[in-house]
Amino acid sequence: MSRRAAAPTRALAWLPIIALAIFILTPQVSSLTYAFFRSDGTFTTDGLTGLADSGAIVAPLIRSLVIASLTVVVLVGTLVPAVVAVHLWAPKLRSVLGILCTLPLVIPAIAIVAGLSAVLRGLASQGRGSVGMQISTALQSQDLPLVLVGTYVVLCLPFTYRSIDSGLSTLPLRTLFESSSVLGASTPDTLRRVVLPNIAGPVMFSAFYAFALSIAEYTVAATLSIPMLPVYLNTLSSTNFRGSITLSVLLSLTTWLLLAAATVSASRFGRTSAPASRKETTTR
Amino acid sequence: MSTHVQTAGASATGSDEPMSVSFSRIHKSYGSTSVLTDLSMEVDAGSMVSILGPSGCGKTTTLRVLAGFEPVDSGDVLVGGRSILGLPPRRRDMGMVFQSYSLFPNLSVDDNIEYGLRIRRIDRAARRTRTDELLDVCGLGGMGDRYPHQLSGGQQQRVALARALATRPKVLLLDEPLSALDAAVRSSLRDEIRRVQQALGTTTVFITHDQGEALAIADRVAVMNAGRIEQYAPPHEVYAHPSTPFVSRFVGTINEVAVPRSWSASDDLPVDALGDDVVFIRPEDLAVDPDPGGQLVVTRQTYTGERTMVRLGRPGDDSVEWSASLASADAHAVPPGTRVRTRVTGQPAMRLPVGEAGGRWA
Repeated sequence: MSRRAAAPTRALAWLPIIALAIFILTPQVSSLTYAFFRSDGTFTTDGLTGLADSGAIVAPLIRSLVIASLTVVVLVGTLVPAVVAVHLWAPKLRSVLGILCTLPLVIPAIAIVAGLSAVLRGLASQGRGSVGMQISTALQSQDLPLVLVGTYVVLCLPFTYRSIDSGLSTLPLRTLFESSSVLGASTPDTLRRVVLPNIAGPVMFSAFYAFALSIAEYTVAATLSIPMLPVYLNTLSSTNFRGSITLSVLLSLTTWLLLAAATVSASRFGRTSAPASRKETTTR
Repeated sequence: MSTHVQTAGASATGSDEPMSVSFSRIHKSYGSTSVLTDLSMEVDAGSMVSILGPSGCGKTTTLRVLAGFEPVDSGDVLVGGRSILGLPPRRRDMGMVFQSYSLFPNLSVDDNIEYGLRIRRIDRAARRTRTDELLDVCGLGGMGDRYPHQLSGGQQQRVALARALATRPKVLLLDEPLSALDAAVRSSLRDEIRRVQQALGTTTVFITHDQGEALAIADRVAVMNAGRIEQYAPPHEVYAHPSTPFVSRFVGTINEVAVPRSWSASDDLPVDALGDDVVFIRPEDLAVDPDPGGQLVVTRQTYTGERTMVRLGRPGDDSVEWSASLASADAHAVPPGTRVRTRVTGQPAMRLPVGEAGGRWA
């Protein structure tokens, strides 16, 4: 390819990136500007102080952090053993599992929460004091809304499953399990010492991703009237608009950082080894 | 044929009492296909036994039965006289080296070797001592900090061997440990495995489809075919005195010649493929002399350095295709196209009535 032709082509390659950057960054920059600058151009921290003063932010913030943490724990704790089990003992089910885990991607959040509400109502309708009622109430408890943990785990599945599944498929899982068990290790031992370290990248990606999704999720929390951080953000916008924008900027920034960490860890902490070459040279 | 490697037994680096292994009448089927049929075999304590056979003969299954990865339909497996059939793999106290990719990629060479010791909660100082011993014995000095992906295939298998031996297992199992390696590495590593095995005195069972390996380093060779052991004997026996046609064909090259019942080794070899018996003759037991009136002609030669495999044929008759192994200097005298005659030096490896010879005589 001649050098004359290369330069315009390279410039052309940058165009979509620039366009996308403008599209994504414009609302962020606008929000950032509004959060910290008054309309006459003076710098202000009113947005921040407004948030801190009321103290109303504390409860939703803590609630979101707790639920996000629980989501990460439950997600990793169930998904990793499940995918390992399928790889080891039921490889034919891999495609079925893949389809199931990708379903949440195509079902709108509002549809998920509509179905969820119906189930919760159904449980509650069993009457005061019944087991169904107790379960329904417990799940939606304002202190620890476990219903959100379950929902968010499901919402995370499409990308986290794909990541963990790909990571595992690069491992000679059966041989690793067998050599580990001959050496005296139990299955949990092997998972902990051999499998998890080798999928550290996908697991960390899943953790960051799940955390980011959980603290920023609005639809399900709002529909179930559980005051999580994004829901609080929405109510705040009617009383302290600049404050709500500031919070929105902070939340966006946090989510961005989490997703960046997720992406970086997926590549940096990927398998520590390249697959060994099958033939070696004659030098030792 | 490769020479059998004999190494002087060095003092064992603290092995426990070596154990015998015994397979007793093992039967195993997958559905209606029988994979192992009435398999029985005794492995003497401290010895190295090779199970040799073509793909699908059941050798891998036999090893996996011993390791505990495959159940059996009936029969028993004993180590040191005690049945281990009820034990899961992790409680059988064995060491195993797989064909490839069995090292833990996230652990260094040191940590890989220590893995079994860590599981057993051996203290750090003892682990370090044992690891250093094994790095030394297996020729891995100075490589403790490296990771598997930084090692060559041969080095990886040596680490796998060190790791398997770290816990002083009762039995060492080797599942085609050299198959994934280059030829040059294969032969040196093969001899090293034998050296280490003799130094430590560990009872070892290794499976291979490469007869050269089996003959070179095993104390006894079990030749398997279709789920049965056809012959179980020291390498020289298996080669020079095969007990079945399969063994004579699978191990080394063999010439099969139809002879009349009255034929003896001092007679000429008849070239027409009709007779009552089939004699099985090793290539090195055939001498070739140039003879203008001979019925055979040299069709080609395969030079392998010290020896040359000389192929003989009968003009116009495709049924005769014999191989004679000559010293390369002697092969010079009979270039392709020369008319020759052959005679048998020494004894045929086997002689059977045509009906029992199988193969192309069936």
